[in-house]
Amino acid sequence: MKRAVLPCNGLDKQHGVLARELALRLMETQGAEVICPVLLNNSPARYEKALAEAPLLVIDGCPTRCASKLATKLGLRVDDKLLVSEQAKAAGLDVGESLRPGPVGMQLVDVMEAGLASVEEPVVGEEPSASFESPTDYLTVTYDKFVFKIPGKDYLFNENDCWVRVIGDRARVGVSDFVQQSMTDIVYFEPAEVGRKIEQFDEIGSLESGKSMMDALSPVSGRIVAVNAQLADSPELVNEDPYGKGWIAEIELSDFDSDKGLLLNADSYSKVVEKKAAEAQH
Amino acid sequence: MAEDTFMGVPREKIDWAPTIDYSKCDFCMECDKFCPHQVFERREEDPKLVVANPHNCVVFCRACAKTCGPDAITFPNKPDTIAAIKNIREEEGEQ
Repeated sequence: MKRAVLPCNGLDKQHGVLARELALRLMETQGAEVICPVLLNNSPARYEKALAEAPLLVIDGCPTRCASKLATKLGLRVDDKLLVSEQAKAAGLDVGESLRPGPVGMQLVDVMEAGLASVEEPVVGEEPSASFESPTDYLTVTYDKFVFKIPGKDYLFNENDCWVRVIGDRARVGVSDFVQQSMTDIVYFEPAEVGRKIEQFDEIGSLESGKSMMDALSPVSGRIVAVNAQLADSPELVNEDPYGKGWIAEIELSDFDSDKGLLLNADSYSKVVEKKAAEAQH
Repeated sequence: MAEDTFMGVPREKIDWAPTIDYSKCDFCMECDKFCPHQVFERREEDPKLVVANPHNCVVFCRACAKTCGPDAITFPNKPDTIAAIKNIREEEGEQ
């Protein structure tokens, strides 16, 4: 698959240098079109055609994530992302401080290239279980011109604005209407890894809008058995239907009885939303 | 915000806030630019960034650490914090 690749410019930190190296490698081995972040910033029209035709991979060097921020600023549709410093940590490779790529750095480029080749089809895990209908019965919290919906039954919440709906030994999790309205248009969703065991309040994915970024924190402990594959192409589903089609992950529960101790019902969560909505205005 | 709580537990009783490793921090201020809760504060004198309002930090949020290029931000061990919150809730429930 031919890609457009937007890397870090690679002149500030060692991981950025390797973002640039990886982009060049993908150009050589896969015919990727490399997008220069400086030129893109000054003359976005120069890359209009490439961006319209090919899926976009953004390669950030360090967590400052300049390349991602540039993509968000220009309203680009991002299909895939990679953060070199995170990859280095995962691979256990210390690439040193030099702004010239060394042998360990190039080894990391090999690892990242191989990883990209193998993830053409995203792993979505098992088929999501029984159909979860979107709720129809809501409590509402009104603040100023905002109306926040909270499903009246079947859903529990943590104080970090994530919901859980349990059916049997499985649960579906997502973020609340308050989150999607506070973030405004969600443009990117990064899913958690399928198969991973998680504790309560561990990350189950992150969301980005032009305005902010948020890690969704799991209301329950267990194992991630599926993620919502539709969010890769349509993160706006979180805005449109946060309690239904915008679900984030499906979890095989491990200790729901204990998790429940730190969960809220709709009534209690509506009080949390009232308080947060008031604070957000100040 | 003296009345601030998390799951009914007074916020000041919960150990959850970032710690800055000053041997790594390069004062790029990305964490401060990111955090909407004024956890960090910039100073004229050294160190130019401090964790001024740890109790404003959203319990279990670690998002600022993700913005940190030099990886200078750490958080408490989450299972310990969860256990402590549950303990306090149980003690208060027994009263």
